[in-house]
Amino acid sequence: MKMNWANVRLVLRREVKDQLRDRRTLFTMLVLPLLLYPLLGATFVQISQFMQEHPTRIRVLGAADLPVAPKLLDGERFDAAVCSESINRLLELTIDETVPADVQARGVREVAEQEIRAGKFDAVVYVPPSFGEQLDRFREQLVEYRQRNATEDFELQVPEPEIFVNSASDKSRIAYDRVNEILRGWREGIVRENLVKSNIPAAATEPFKLTGIDVSEEVRRRAAIWSKILPFVVLIWALTGAFQPAVDMCAGEKERGTLETLLSSPVRRVEIVWGKMLTVMMFSLGTAVLNLLSMGATGTFIMGQMENLATVSPTMQFGPPPVAAMCWLLLALVPAAALFSALSLAIAAFARSSKEGQYYLMPLLLVTLPLMLLPMLPAAELDMGTSLMPITGLMLLLPTPMAAQYAEAGLYALPVVGVTMLGCLLSIRWAIDQFNNESVLFRESEQWSLRLWFQHVLKTRQATPTFAAAMLCGILILLIRFFGGFVFPTVTSWGQMAWVTTFSQLVMIVVPAVGLTYLLTRSPRQTLLLAMPKPLSLPAAVLLAIFLHPAFLWMGEGIKHVYPISEDALTQLEPLSAALASASLWSVLLVIAVVPAICEELAFRGFILSGLRSAGHRWRALVISSFLFGITHSILQQSISAFVVGLVIGYIAMQTGSILPGMLYHFTHNALAVLLSRLTPEHLGEYPFLRAFFRAAADGQAILYDWGTVFLSAAAAAILLYWLRSHQPRPAVATQPESHAAVQVT
Amino acid sequence: MINVQNLTKSYADLRRGEFVALDSISFTASPGEIFGLLGPNGAGKTSALRILSTMLRPSRGTVSVCGFDVVDDAEEVRRRIGFVSNNTAVYDRMTAWEMVEYFGRLHGLQQAELQDRMHAIFTRLQMDEIRDVLGAKMSTGMKQKVSIARALVHDPPVLIFDEATSGLDVLVARSLLKTVSDLRDHGKCIIFSTHIMREAERLCDHVAIMHHGRILANGLLAELHQQYQEDDLEELFFQLLSHHDELPLSPTG
Repeated sequence: MKMNWANVRLVLRREVKDQLRDRRTLFTMLVLPLLLYPLLGATFVQISQFMQEHPTRIRVLGAADLPVAPKLLDGERFDAAVCSESINRLLELTIDETVPADVQARGVREVAEQEIRAGKFDAVVYVPPSFGEQLDRFREQLVEYRQRNATEDFELQVPEPEIFVNSASDKSRIAYDRVNEILRGWREGIVRENLVKSNIPAAATEPFKLTGIDVSEEVRRRAAIWSKILPFVVLIWALTGAFQPAVDMCAGEKERGTLETLLSSPVRRVEIVWGKMLTVMMFSLGTAVLNLLSMGATGTFIMGQMENLATVSPTMQFGPPPVAAMCWLLLALVPAAALFSALSLAIAAFARSSKEGQYYLMPLLLVTLPLMLLPMLPAAELDMGTSLMPITGLMLLLPTPMAAQYAEAGLYALPVVGVTMLGCLLSIRWAIDQFNNESVLFRESEQWSLRLWFQHVLKTRQATPTFAAAMLCGILILLIRFFGGFVFPTVTSWGQMAWVTTFSQLVMIVVPAVGLTYLLTRSPRQTLLLAMPKPLSLPAAVLLAIFLHPAFLWMGEGIKHVYPISEDALTQLEPLSAALASASLWSVLLVIAVVPAICEELAFRGFILSGLRSAGHRWRALVISSFLFGITHSILQQSISAFVVGLVIGYIAMQTGSILPGMLYHFTHNALAVLLSRLTPEHLGEYPFLRAFFRAAADGQAILYDWGTVFLSAAAAAILLYWLRSHQPRPAVATQPESHAAVQVT
Repeated sequence: MINVQNLTKSYADLRRGEFVALDSISFTASPGEIFGLLGPNGAGKTSALRILSTMLRPSRGTVSVCGFDVVDDAEEVRRRIGFVSNNTAVYDRMTAWEMVEYFGRLHGLQQAELQDRMHAIFTRLQMDEIRDVLGAKMSTGMKQKVSIARALVHDPPVLIFDEATSGLDVLVARSLLKTVSDLRDHGKCIIFSTHIMREAERLCDHVAIMHHGRILANGLLAELHQQYQEDDLEELFFQLLSHHDELPLSPTG
């Protein structure tokens, strides 16, 4: 598309100036980040200081029953031997030598519960009656036991002291932690003393120490921690920073009536979109960077404060994010901001008013948030699959250069950048389409009701479905299959499997497709390609399926090599394979080859492909229909193969203008798979002619196509495809004038 | 200069189904002439003018402005028109001067030429006091002046005013009519849509009366008076409309 960049620059400059004069934008972009993090930080410091400094009140019940040695209490406080001065200072003890009568009457637990809840105390320590005496008796017995060199076990119950805590209250939990640590230390003292009395050195309790050594460099450790948190925060701000200006620049301008002014000037709509998109991107970047800086500065300051407090555990001290990590993050921010900006712009262009625009932020967040959250899962890793997911791939790629794993980063940088760029371009295209769409630009609120809309759809339906109807059908099939998966029982026998497969093909694939055909189109014949093709195309389709099968099988092996099927999936598939092997060949061919060939073709090459083609782009329709066909296969490895097979069958359907050759191809393809699974290396021995085409697989279980077969048949397939290229479909029998209109509808 | 032939515009509408906003209308307008497009609200005036200014595409028929087709050479058409309507607002967060300058730039004017022309326009429309006032702070009259200045900045041969006087007080409306008639005297081709008959009577050379997407009458003002034996345009307009509404609805194509 021709574009005058001078105009784009003009639009960009005006929009930037306009936004900078808008108080709302300035607030979200500048003021909010500058205030937010220092405020949050200050609160955090306050809270942590409070947690550190705040004295806790502890009631000790029955102190008289404590043993004489080792001492736990020293007057009104814990003994210096069990509690350091700094902690002692934070503890306010209320000591009852004996348990008061009223407490005894109501029960210690109830009193403790009530007093903690009422805030009188944060924790209550209860020393049971005769605890000290029992402990002393335990020690005496221990000594005696030692003296008589006894070997039998001995038992003596020492009553257990109790600490009452309300874990729903932070203060109470802190009190518990402090008291618990003191009491443990005190108990260890008793253990050591006992050992000494039994003539065992105290070192016996700890013959060796376990030491964990962190081998990571300090900088990398910091990078690793920051790389989990920062990208998420920065991307969220990039999205928020993009959305507000986008709504103001599109929906806002519509509302204020200035869009029409702009449209009446010579500037082209594509230039307007680019100018606005670059503005949105600047604000998206600006918001994200300012947030990053403010957060970094606040973070560094807080970390400093926390280190001064010196009571924080060492893992908490991770310091400011490394500079290199920040640079990588900024670099990755650019494509992410571009993607968000283009998306926001397209959505905002659709809205009639700023208010309506704001409503669309939530759905946008709902779609993008999972993509941003996924990389934060501990198990998330950068691989071929995740690198192809927009945003997710980018966020997973980020930690690698941040933690300086350049080799890995290089490997996946290309798919990640490719997917992000594609996303940007598609979003910009979408935004431009919106700006070229009269009904979007000059949309006025009209009375909308489901009934009216439905009547409208029925009234305006064409011979073949629209693009949207085709997508609806695809999504419907996916959803029905997804939820249907929960309904169907796991199959254990061939009978069940045959029934489930046939039923699900009919109900989940044919019913939606044929139902929508009758509901949304006027010519089921044209929609489902129910026409006789030229006779030669039928054997051609069968031959093509035979010739391409070796190559597909080889491709399938390749896919399994790159993406190995998980053990779980294999175990799940096992009963199925067993059931398949036990059934008669004819029944298997019927269920696995005939049924899907008819059902899936009607849906994917019939309704869906016809609908997608009505948008005009032949190849785009082919790719999308194959993609939908692919993802209805539940296992990833199958999906990839099915996608490629879908491309071939779709091409056949488009070239022949009939559903039949595709059905024959599909049948042949599936039938060959069934037949091949029945062949074993023994057959190769029995029937020598088979050896011309096949070889035994390395595991000796199955047989594979010979390499020569693969290449020769692929060559033959290429010739057939070339022949198909020049193949013209027979003119449709019942061509209606509307069919032309249908092609133009977008 | 402006040539509209069998222009039809229809929208898909949920309630009404296919809604025909313009039903095969034709008219021409020449330089040095004010062509009045008269009609009640909803007659299709705005749709027609939006098509003239290339914002909407015709469903059928051809429209050319200065010899350029509004579909094939939309950009060339926009270079040659100045469009002022109720729906072409001014930017709230830009001053009058910035606004006019921006559109001058979009029309590809060079700095020196642009400055000269802007000074001339601001003086002519007496806009020097509001030069640095933000759009948000302007009164309706001021905004209308800025819109006219914006439409004139590239000195287009064709000017389109769509209900330009609505919402203006008497004084501002009068001065706008004065400006429009001055522009005619400078040889511009002007399309002026209104539902106020007095304005049309004072201003237009040529009028077309629209109703329900059709042109009911089209001709020089004097010719129409003669043809319908009616000296008062408002009366003429009213008779035409009520006559049309009484007719049994002929099937539309």
